[in-house]
Amino acid sequence: MAITDTLIPAVDLGDKQTVPVTLNSTNILICKANGEFYAVDNQCTHQRAELTGGRIRNCYLACPLHGVRFDLRTGEPMGELTRVPLQTYDVSVAENGNLQIELG
Amino acid sequence: MSELIKVKQQGAARCDGLSYQDLLDDETVEVPAYLRENTNPYMGDEDIDVARWISRDFHEQEKQKLWPKVWQMTCREEDIPEVGDHHVYEIVDQSIIVTRTGDNEFKAFINSCLHRGRILRDNDGHADEFVCPFHGATWDINGNFKGIPCKWDFSHLDEKDMSLPQVKVGTWGGFIFINFDENCVPLEDYLHPLPDHFSRFPLHDYYKGAHVQRVVNCNWKVGAEAFMESFHTLETHSEILTFTGDANSQYDTFGDHVSRSVTPMGVASPHLPDVTADETMRDILELSGRMATDSAEGHEMPEGLTARTYVAETNREMFSDIIGEPLDDATQSELEDAILYMLFPNTQIWTGYHGNIVYRFLPNGDDHNSCIFETMILMRYEKGTKKPDPAEKNILRPDQAFSEAPEIGGLGPVFDQDDSNMAAVQKGMIASKKGAVSLASYQESRIRHLHQTIDKYLNA
Repeated sequence: MAITDTLIPAVDLGDKQTVPVTLNSTNILICKANGEFYAVDNQCTHQRAELTGGRIRNCYLACPLHGVRFDLRTGEPMGELTRVPLQTYDVSVAENGNLQIELG
Repeated sequence: MSELIKVKQQGAARCDGLSYQDLLDDETVEVPAYLRENTNPYMGDEDIDVARWISRDFHEQEKQKLWPKVWQMTCREEDIPEVGDHHVYEIVDQSIIVTRTGDNEFKAFINSCLHRGRILRDNDGHADEFVCPFHGATWDINGNFKGIPCKWDFSHLDEKDMSLPQVKVGTWGGFIFINFDENCVPLEDYLHPLPDHFSRFPLHDYYKGAHVQRVVNCNWKVGAEAFMESFHTLETHSEILTFTGDANSQYDTFGDHVSRSVTPMGVASPHLPDVTADETMRDILELSGRMATDSAEGHEMPEGLTARTYVAETNREMFSDIIGEPLDDATQSELEDAILYMLFPNTQIWTGYHGNIVYRFLPNGDDHNSCIFETMILMRYEKGTKKPDPAEKNILRPDQAFSEAPEIGGLGPVFDQDDSNMAAVQKGMIASKKGAVSLASYQESRIRHLHQTIDKYLNA
């Protein structure tokens, strides 16, 4: 389990905002919801659309293309368009204040 | 004795001892008119055929003549706060997209694409326009047709009205209602007298602090009726008898669409004559789940004060701290009692100052043997602060207990006790040789009222 510094300061990410980051060729989306940080695959499991900028309400991220909503805590989708969950990653704030992600 | 008088006497029997109206006489503040209402016209005592709950045929009749004709609650306005937000409301086999189209404007569309019929939205969410996931036919959020790919292949649609068909929409108390019947009565008339009774409780400005849903294996009416009388407290919730006026609750009906039950709290049940004020005070704080505090720690019963008054005044103080407003004109009843209205056919709402609980029972799709039980808690918030966001709906799995939803607190264990009856009622009625139920003349009169109003729609 490698903890990777995303070089993105935690303070730069406001609530209900998302920021994409690519770590060893994996496109990951970091989101802030309800004051907590989450990280998921940055690709919708319905039609592979990018999730960047998806609307966040409570702890759900909506894919910009068709609006599929994913629970950021578990990656689980809601509704019928897809049953495949998003991969989730543990996010924490490093000593230096940057967001860091645990990659398997 | 003339027939008329005899009939009146039949329905006039009440529990001995203190009535709710007697308790209102002890109030120190002015009692609002709606609490003094006391109307329960006698509706007979005939048995009721279990087919109404367990038969496919009755479900089909409701499908044809009830659901397409009544105003029904779909969601809260706060659930769809931004223009383009929508809630997919499903009733039996119908599906509606309830959409916010303006600051105070909502539209409700039939959820079916006008090209090949696929549902346009399969879940709540947000959309700048409705794009059918099948072929991409598109409508704006006001239902105007914007086009379909390969337009050249659809010139035969040009002179057709391709706008999305709509159903009627109305709002009250922060709830959004729809009606499939374009000739229906206006929502205000349908709701009467509910808005007057709730005039002290501006629910449109409350936020949804909790929203829990779970399937229950009983007909939607069995579910609703489990919350329409306090008679079951004795057997189902016996641990709350020390602080619940069950047998001396008051039951009212107000026209076809509204009925009410008022269960005094902070008083021992007539079934338990020798409970002490201290026991009542301790138990209500710890078990009711609706008081301002849920611990009796550090609470002592002052001399000469009743438990009801002590708890009401505790609530008055703590609730007014929370909302930063004095509650000087709140009656003790509104600070403590279970004052619960049914809005026909399936939405129940509490008045009062301790978190306004809402129950809704919907048929579970087209299955008449199961239903979707939802409860919300509408909360006030501190004056002058920003209204909190509504809670996300917590959908419990069928195997989960309601007490696994911490956001409803003490209600969870109470619902679990009701849950132990609801599916069993459905099962027992199916097995019943008698094939009919008998109702208490007064304490279960609201159930009879529900069914009489249903019949008015089925026979219309």
